[in-house]
Amino acid sequence: MKRIILAKVWKKFRIGRRRDGALARLISFFSGKEYKKTIWALKDISLEIKAGETVGIIGKNGSGKSTLLRVIAGIYKHDKGEVKTKGNMVPLINLNVGLQARLSMKDNINLCCSLFGLPKKKIKERFHSIVEFSELGRFLDTKIYQFSEGMKQRLGFSIAINCNPEILLLDEVFEIGDKNFKIKSAEKIKELAKNGASVILVSHEVEMVKKYCSRVIWLERGRIIRDGETKGILIEYQKSRNGFI
Amino acid sequence: MVKKYWSKIESFFELSFSIAKAEFKMRNEGSYLGVFWYLLNPLFMFALLFFVFSRKLGYHIKDYPAYLFLGIILFNIFQRTTIDSSNIIIRNSSLLKSIKFSKEALVFANILKNLFSHLFELGLFIILLLVLKIPLLGLIPYALVLFVFSIFIYGTSLILSALTPYIVDLENVWLFLSRIIWLATPIFYSIEGTRIAYINFFNPIYYFITIARDIMVYTKIPEPWLIFGSLFWALLSLVIGLLIFNKLKVKFAELI
Repeated sequence: MKRIILAKVWKKFRIGRRRDGALARLISFFSGKEYKKTIWALKDISLEIKAGETVGIIGKNGSGKSTLLRVIAGIYKHDKGEVKTKGNMVPLINLNVGLQARLSMKDNINLCCSLFGLPKKKIKERFHSIVEFSELGRFLDTKIYQFSEGMKQRLGFSIAINCNPEILLLDEVFEIGDKNFKIKSAEKIKELAKNGASVILVSHEVEMVKKYCSRVIWLERGRIIRDGETKGILIEYQKSRNGFI
Repeated sequence: MVKKYWSKIESFFELSFSIAKAEFKMRNEGSYLGVFWYLLNPLFMFALLFFVFSRKLGYHIKDYPAYLFLGIILFNIFQRTTIDSSNIIIRNSSLLKSIKFSKEALVFANILKNLFSHLFELGLFIILLLVLKIPLLGLIPYALVLFVFSIFIYGTSLILSALTPYIVDLENVWLFLSRIIWLATPIFYSIEGTRIAYINFFNPIYYFITIARDIMVYTKIPEPWLIFGSLFWALLSLVIGLLIFNKLKVKFAELI
């Protein structure tokens, strides 16, 4: 079963001086000069991801990795092409920013699960396993602003995996956090994939991708330049990166 | 089909409630007086206006304290909610950029939150009615008025929240505009029998405040044209709000 199908997807951003004042806008309006620049963040992306697959996405900063995830998640609307997904989507894109700093961990779990579309009854059921997986049981009543980055990451990940992900989108989730938790999370990802979920992992850490992804997609300037077996592509990728440094 | 639709509505309300709850907690976090702050603003406003106007503008108005207080708290809920809504998308940018969820729920949650704090003001108002020995019969129809008023506020909030990511200035414009509407609405004065009355045909809030006063303060049935007017404004704002919001919401995540 195919969980994600992207066919010739294009996404553009109009960047530049959007926050300009009214005067600048008026001038540009009457002079007919476009004061915005169009940038194609994704160009002609076609890919299919099957159930049970764990796919890594690599690429330099600004190559369109996060944009791709957001387009798949439906957070950004693509300009051309077609995006089809099947299954419950749980995106974990900068989730530690999505957590509310002024709320306690308990309240954040409730809020986040609701945002991920979990009904109230289910949240009650899952609450325990979320806390247990995060190993943060002592901090249930602590406000998030007192959490370290690693703790936020733990919490975010624990919430995401407990919200019935059939498509799990992970954006640089493993850049921080300790090794034990990484291993534990990776095991969990494997388990989810085994049960038919599709996992997409965006990471700078080649190690994580190498270890847990059977397939890798390499993005560069919004285009897919390689898509295939992990090993070969990673070697090529590291070579090209070292070349730049 | 019906069941699917129903579960969608149910989850919309559930999500709105949990957002509202979280927002309410965040607002009162670490505050010692908590909800009493909500009462301070209308109380202060009431005391000030009453002190200044009770012998002048309010001289001819029957039960002026109740007339004034109800006007203040009703306008308050409109003003507070719409100002909150005007930057709600920008305020929640990190959330909107990381999770896909119903954006309307965010706006709706804001209505719920402000309705909840309105209950405290309403409590004060009821005390005032008791002091003035006005019967509390109007409370039941008042719930209905509040419901229709909420629909109107929801529509207005949708319009404002959808436009601000595109027109950043709107937040400040609305801050200013809502003050003008405050002055134009007969809150501390009465317009009956004057020429300004006609201008207030175009002021939706006038309808709601007048109806609420009729039933709560004067315990009489409001005139039909007022009732139809209020329904008309509520529906109009809801329809326009939903249309605009639906059209503009797809781009929110990119603009913030």
